Amino acid sequence: MNPVTGIILSPIIGTMILLAIPQRREDWIRRVSAAATLIPLLLALWMVFHFPRGVAGYHWVHRIPWLPALGIQYQVGVDGISVVLLLLHTLCSFTGVLVSYRIKERVKEYYIFYLLLIGGVAGVFASLDLFFFYLFYEMAVIPMFPLIGIWGSGEKAYATMKLTLYLTAGAMLALIGLLSLYVISGTHTFDLIFLEHFLRQNPIPGDMQRWLFPFLLIGFGVIAPMWPLHSWSPLGHAAAPSAVSMLHAGVLMKLGSYAILRIAVQLLPEGAYTWMPWVAGIAIMNIVYGGFVAMAQKDMKFVIGYSSSSHMGYVLLGIACLNPIGLNGAVLLMFAHGLMTAMAFAAVGHIYDQTHTRVISEWGGLARQVPFIATAFVMAALASAGLPGFANFIAELLVFFGSWNSYRWSALAAVFGIVITAFYMLRAVRTGFFGPLNPRWAGLKDATVFERVPYLILLAGLLIVGCWPRFLLEIISTSTPAVLSHLDALQVVAKL
Amino acid sequence: MSHLSLLSVLPELWLGLLFGLMLILDLRWGETRSSALCLIAAAGLLPLFPLFVWQSGLPAGDLLGGMYRLDLLALFFKGIFAAAAIGVILMTRELGRTIPRGHGEFTLLILAAAFGMFLAASSANFVMLFVSLELMAITFYVLTAYLQTNQGSLEAGMKYLILGSLASGLMLYGIAFIYGSTGTMQFSKIQELMSHAQGLPIPLRFGLLLVIAGILFKVAAVPFQLWVPDVYQGAPTPVTAFLSVGSKSAGFLVAFRIIQELFILQSRQWAPLIVWVAGMTILYGNLAAIPQRNIKRLLGYSSIGHAGYLLIGIATASQLGSTAVNFYLASYLFTNMAVFLVIAAFSRQVESDEIRAYAGLAKRSPFLAAAMFVALLSLAGVPPLAGFFGKFLLLMGAITEGYLALAIIGAAAVVVSLYYYLQIVYTMYADKPEDSSPIPVSLPVRLALWVCLAAMLGLGIWQAPLMQLSLAAISGS
Repeated sequence: MNPVTGIILSPIIGTMILLAIPQRREDWIRRVSAAATLIPLLLALWMVFHFPRGVAGYHWVHRIPWLPALGIQYQVGVDGISVVLLLLHTLCSFTGVLVSYRIKERVKEYYIFYLLLIGGVAGVFASLDLFFFYLFYEMAVIPMFPLIGIWGSGEKAYATMKLTLYLTAGAMLALIGLLSLYVISGTHTFDLIFLEHFLRQNPIPGDMQRWLFPFLLIGFGVIAPMWPLHSWSPLGHAAAPSAVSMLHAGVLMKLGSYAILRIAVQLLPEGAYTWMPWVAGIAIMNIVYGGFVAMAQKDMKFVIGYSSSSHMGYVLLGIACLNPIGLNGAVLLMFAHGLMTAMAFAAVGHIYDQTHTRVISEWGGLARQVPFIATAFVMAALASAGLPGFANFIAELLVFFGSWNSYRWSALAAVFGIVITAFYMLRAVRTGFFGPLNPRWAGLKDATVFERVPYLILLAGLLIVGCWPRFLLEIISTSTPAVLSHLDALQVVAKL
Repeated sequence: MSHLSLLSVLPELWLGLLFGLMLILDLRWGETRSSALCLIAAAGLLPLFPLFVWQSGLPAGDLLGGMYRLDLLALFFKGIFAAAAIGVILMTRELGRTIPRGHGEFTLLILAAAFGMFLAASSANFVMLFVSLELMAITFYVLTAYLQTNQGSLEAGMKYLILGSLASGLMLYGIAFIYGSTGTMQFSKIQELMSHAQGLPIPLRFGLLLVIAGILFKVAAVPFQLWVPDVYQGAPTPVTAFLSVGSKSAGFLVAFRIIQELFILQSRQWAPLIVWVAGMTILYGNLAAIPQRNIKRLLGYSSIGHAGYLLIGIATASQLGSTAVNFYLASYLFTNMAVFLVIAAFSRQVESDEIRAYAGLAKRSPFLAAAMFVALLSLAGVPPLAGFFGKFLLLMGAITEGYLALAIIGAAAVVVSLYYYLQIVYTMYADKPEDSSPIPVSLPVRLALWVCLAAMLGLGIWQAPLMQLSLAAISGS
């Protein structure tokens, strides 16, 4: 069995098993879901440890002809970028299942949608065929609708509809872009590996690349989330149940930047060359504007939600650099930010389930009552502010270095963004967790031993990579030059 | 009548026999065993499928003095019609006592409409085509107004009758012009004339325009869509289902035969017209569906939208576009049948078609809600369901032929349609039910829904077999 296919199929098979288990056997439903997400995690870890470092190209490629008449094949595999993102995804989805033990209502349906979502996301990261890429992408978007609509809180009806429509609109724009690419390239295949080689030799004419690029950039940018199309995301985070927020902010948002990287930048280098300065500007809007909006929030989930869209600005900036340092930073930041934000959402969810409020000023002194959860949240806040020792620090540093070469002013503005992050994160920690304990929360329960497992896993990921970044950077930097190789040729020509 | 002719009209003969049998049984049993009658009729349609498979091996050609054509395209569509009829008859059984004079007579009318569709599929001559379309239309007038004590049903029947007759008149007038300028009613002869013609004479163009108008009425495209919402809402649920699947497919079949086969060389000239109609139809259907509160009315508007999508395939006039139309119609069959089966099973218990009545359906009947959920997603075109792949092929066809704007309209309308479909899903899954009594689902409906679900998922994931079939139906004709 191919490990990449295993990662995709395991949650989907899990869904089918769940369908057969009666509603009342909740213990079995939870066990099957845990197994269906643990297996991919182990597979992803195995792949990371056995990844042939320094060998460019795709590994563990699995290919099944699907619809040869149209050039569609089931083709999956990983390179250094996608293997790291798969590790992130499997980490978040497994810890998400553990956090979901607090879901008590309509358990079976919950896990069915949750596993479908996970299968879809894994498929996007692993697909090396544009048709399947799109198919999995939509498969990842739709289960969010019932997950937020049924198990969510607050303004869930509005939030879930807005999220689904924004993401579908983006997907449709991207689909038009993909189909145009298919037609314009004249190859009549959706095979990504083939297209990469073919377009390196026979690039699409420059003016076509320039009008095609925005379709893919904006289409996938909606989920990235690119300013000013980001407004669905904090709303969605806030309304979603904890595990879904974790996956949503931790992994789903990375689908967008990954797709921009893998398809738009890699296949349309001239388009990227033209449009990337704009992206850098948008990234700065994400960082600074998102940061200021996060400052103004009173609801803890909105703080983290806006902070997420602000931090995804760093990822976009890293991609916009179009140099290996920035790109390495962007990919590592996707990983680090995913773990960090998952931990923050899990902690907030733990408290919200008991307090039923997320307004920071109504909390207060919780660190005394729930020391473990408070510690986890503080760790996440520090990671988010880019404290050395956490993976975020290295990643953001790389993005700064990368952007210093390409966009000096953006780099300065981005560094300023870190100050904003530190401001609102530390303020939230101070108001919510320290100071005098609000007597209303005297009965609050800390995490049990079992409930601590997901936090420990996520924290371990952040610290290990933070202290030993080479572990992942070696893998990532195996593949980043390949993404830019189309572009290098172009830049040489430009310099001549 | 030659040996081959007899073999090729076997499906029609079988349908005629079934009709006779049902007539006798209905007279003998009356209302007492009317639900058994439905099951017999549905089971009686099943042998048609192996018959179609066997017939696909027969040589294609015109028979019965050039009136009747046997080819893969006809067989493909007859398959759709027969499957639709089975679903519709099972829905009829769910109507229970609300239907006057038992199920027998109603089932007979459905079989008669199916007979008309079969003949339309095999028409090789304008006279034959017109007669079979009229057989279909007149049966539908009766079926729509069948609930004589229901004001909505009567109103719908009246509207459909008046507008439908107008459309038939237009078509007949057009046929007369075509005959006047070519001197023949025979498709094959017209085709031969056309292949040598340098441009079309004005009367022929005018005639063709009128015939196209008649077709656009059948498929419910702008500007001939006005009858749809009232008729869909007022007609008994099985009739609405049959209209949306059977009648629409028949319309597209005729479009294939006339636009693509007879005027293939000139079809490029007609493309701008069809492109405009397609774009307007997509926008009208999907935008007008947004404020609807009645589920059948909403589906009426959404079926206008789907007609618009299908017209993209006709407009492209390419092999890819035509394959896409066939694929789309086959997946639309299963998807729409699932939706209407759920509506039929639901309204048997609740007697309301308001979307609000569906609140909490996921708790009252998880199976019905899940089937509806999947079917609505397939209608919206969400992967990995059959409806997605149909839309994907159509958009691909549009972009290949350079209709980028049309593709963008189609893509934008997917988002709109997702909005109103998901409203229903939200009502079913997240809202609290007013009355939480469970809704029973009869075994035949349950089986039919499972078939539809399997087809939606199966065709969406493993598209190759239906793709080949759709392609063969186009290239074999």
